[in-house]
Amino acid sequence: MSDAHLLPGPLEGLRILELTDAAGQFCGKLLGDLGADVIKIEPPGGERCRHVGPFLDDIPHPERSLSFWYYNTSKRGITLDLNAADGRRIFARLAATADVVLETFRPGHLAALGFDYASLHEQNPRLIMCALTPFGQTGPWRDYASTDLLHMAAGGEMASCGYDQVDVPDAPPIAPGGGNAWHMGCHFAYIAIMAALVYRTISGQGQYIDASIHEACALTTEAAIASYVYRGETLLRQTGRHHAAAATNRTQFRAKDGTYVTALISGGLNPRNVRNLAALMDSFGMAGDLMEPRYQDPAVIAANASHIIDDLLASFIASLPAEQVYHAAQERGFTWGAVRAPEALLDDAHLHDRGFWKQVWHAELGRSFTYPGEAAIYNGSPWRISRRAPLIGEHNTEIFCEVLGLSRAELSVLAESRVI
Amino acid sequence: MAGPRALDGIRVVDFSWVRAGPWATRWLGALGAEIIKIEWPESERGRLPSTTTPQHLPVNLNTSGNFADTNVNKKSLSLNVRSPKGLDIVKRLIAISDIVIENFSSRVLQKWGLGYEEQCKIKPDIVYVSMSGYGHTGRNHHYTTFGPVAQSVAGLTYLSGLPDRPPAGWGWSYMDDTGGMYGAMCALTGLYHRNMTGRGQHIDQAQMVSSVPLNGPALLDFTANGRGSCRPGFPPGNRAHWPGTPLLNNYRGPTVAPHNAYRTHPGGYNDWCVIVCRTDEEWQQLVRVMNAPRWASSERFATVLGRLQHQEELDDHIEAWSITLGKYELTERCQAVGVSALPVQSAEDRVEHDPQLRHRQIYREMQHPALGRYKVQNAPFKLSQTPAENYLPAPLIGQHTREIVEGLLGYSHDELRAGFADGTFWPARRERFPYLEEMLE
Repeated sequence: MSDAHLLPGPLEGLRILELTDAAGQFCGKLLGDLGADVIKIEPPGGERCRHVGPFLDDIPHPERSLSFWYYNTSKRGITLDLNAADGRRIFARLAATADVVLETFRPGHLAALGFDYASLHEQNPRLIMCALTPFGQTGPWRDYASTDLLHMAAGGEMASCGYDQVDVPDAPPIAPGGGNAWHMGCHFAYIAIMAALVYRTISGQGQYIDASIHEACALTTEAAIASYVYRGETLLRQTGRHHAAAATNRTQFRAKDGTYVTALISGGLNPRNVRNLAALMDSFGMAGDLMEPRYQDPAVIAANASHIIDDLLASFIASLPAEQVYHAAQERGFTWGAVRAPEALLDDAHLHDRGFWKQVWHAELGRSFTYPGEAAIYNGSPWRISRRAPLIGEHNTEIFCEVLGLSRAELSVLAESRVI
Repeated sequence: MAGPRALDGIRVVDFSWVRAGPWATRWLGALGAEIIKIEWPESERGRLPSTTTPQHLPVNLNTSGNFADTNVNKKSLSLNVRSPKGLDIVKRLIAISDIVIENFSSRVLQKWGLGYEEQCKIKPDIVYVSMSGYGHTGRNHHYTTFGPVAQSVAGLTYLSGLPDRPPAGWGWSYMDDTGGMYGAMCALTGLYHRNMTGRGQHIDQAQMVSSVPLNGPALLDFTANGRGSCRPGFPPGNRAHWPGTPLLNNYRGPTVAPHNAYRTHPGGYNDWCVIVCRTDEEWQQLVRVMNAPRWASSERFATVLGRLQHQEELDDHIEAWSITLGKYELTERCQAVGVSALPVQSAEDRVEHDPQLRHRQIYREMQHPALGRYKVQNAPFKLSQTPAENYLPAPLIGQHTREIVEGLLGYSHDELRAGFADGTFWPARRERFPYLEEMLE
């Protein structure tokens, strides 16, 4: 292993001011984990995401939200009331030192406080400002309320997810959980910010970014739009596999341990795939009649597709634990996987080999916790969690006094007035 | 005259195929980079699936609708990279490029003699993004993925479904889309770092690995609290919590009710609305929108704990009302008073009926030389100085071979013709499309 992990991150030297709620905090984490100095600005008392569970040891407290912990690594934290004149003056001074302002307020909110992009840009021509909002800054839905579930509905995710009639009759469309609408918005916002940063290395000028979560979600349904645009098709929801214009073979099978295996036959049931499948199943004594030479005839395969999949393949998988099927199949070149609950990932040897899990120190608790690490390994400038999420106002002194030059006495006055 | 683009002057050598890699370079292209897509008709994966070819057109390498949407803003060079001459041309291209991106299985490029070390010899500050299934290191690096398999192995499939039922999963390759996002994010991050320091690097992005951080809160619930997701009531369908199961946060925001999908008029396959009330005030607003029915005044529904406990009854009542309204009308009535409601939208709904997407011009028509005029998806962000706009339709296979080989690399026309004859630019015995014949005249 090289000592690349000791190098600065790729975004070292950038200062980001993050004023976000649940919708944007992941984008700030990505920027921070990649080396930027992300300063999270929360209202006095803390941002409302601190009240989202689960909480450490199930004790609700704004410093114990595991969701907040996860989405706010590698950031410094300050508190500031932008509704107070002192708060606005301080924010203006901070914005003059920043490379990027990332915000998720309702459209027009910052402008009403005097922080429209034109004003901030006048003070700091290199400043990039990204407003990441549910629907963008314009349009008939601009001021609509939203949640992660709402975005999964309107973005088209739900229309593609659900069950075969045989599994759950008349099932509703299903929204995958985990806050992925926010992830989708944050991925695109990150791309837009990086594009603006790259352009700034040439032009020296910042710019304004109007990013929409609804649009990000609407763009994240693979071929659904193309199926409609080019063929006029509306797609069916199917259990554990792709939406499709007409029903397709199932690909999710129950294993011996009660969990499932995703077993797609890439390229479909052709003689070569059937031969390989028979060899895989035969290595566990479960090939049934599939070793018979007649299965090398495409016509026989086609006539017996249901027997091969619903009897033989299903029985084979039902005879073994899902993890065993997964590894045995992959070793033989099958693109199959075990359907795992997230906690099973802690036992994944491959992730351990890649040094994926990180210990993050929480000094105030006197212990460290295991966090998921980097999505990609940068060999010249590492992706790294540099610190746990900030406590409420943890870096007020550091930033207000050391960066902006306020005195301790001024800081006390601001605290008394609840500006910080 | 178009204005400046964020990635003007940036050239990308793009070996990617199928979906995740091409989805990454699509956005680099929209941002202004010159994307040179290297393809070979004999081993093509991504152009042929016929499921999005318009019914009136023949199925061939140039008529996949999904390929056309996934590959706007690119140029196509058909090239046999596994021939010595082809490899030499690739090296010349890399020498004048900024980014190399591919989504082969791990180590394929290395086998071709184009691993990172080799790329550095040709172009010392190259940014190389590999987008494999499992990454270039780790004991399972040779495993392969599709989106659905990465989603299964990394815990994403498990997040979707009704309790005590099989996982519903994701009805598409979410991790092809999102893997593409990570590919583009890595390329841009590496490019920024190069511009600032003069140094390139290899970024080893992996579809399966990139999926795992999307489960952050669930993973921390396990590592910090010892609580796994294998438990009664998880996943909770569209709800924040499934009634009758232990009252726990299920990693989709605050635990509230109502929080569900409800049938709307006229009850078709995609006639559903989702409604969420995060506070008592929002609940009272919803009650008013429903014309304050007698059931809603029950004490059972007055508090969030009550609404969670009596969710089955609550949802039945709401659906008895929602089924009387169309999903867009229900949405407007709710949103007018601040209640969170939106329609479940199919692709047709998004393209034809969504007033917001229409206003923001997300789907704009482009003329494609083989397909004709169709709507293409546009960026979900607006950069004020360097807009990301589609400026080239997806290329026909090999369409830009002459432009690149002669115009960019300086080969003569005779050398181009010789390369077509000897199987460098097109399989010698394969029939050539008319535009390729024209290219050789």
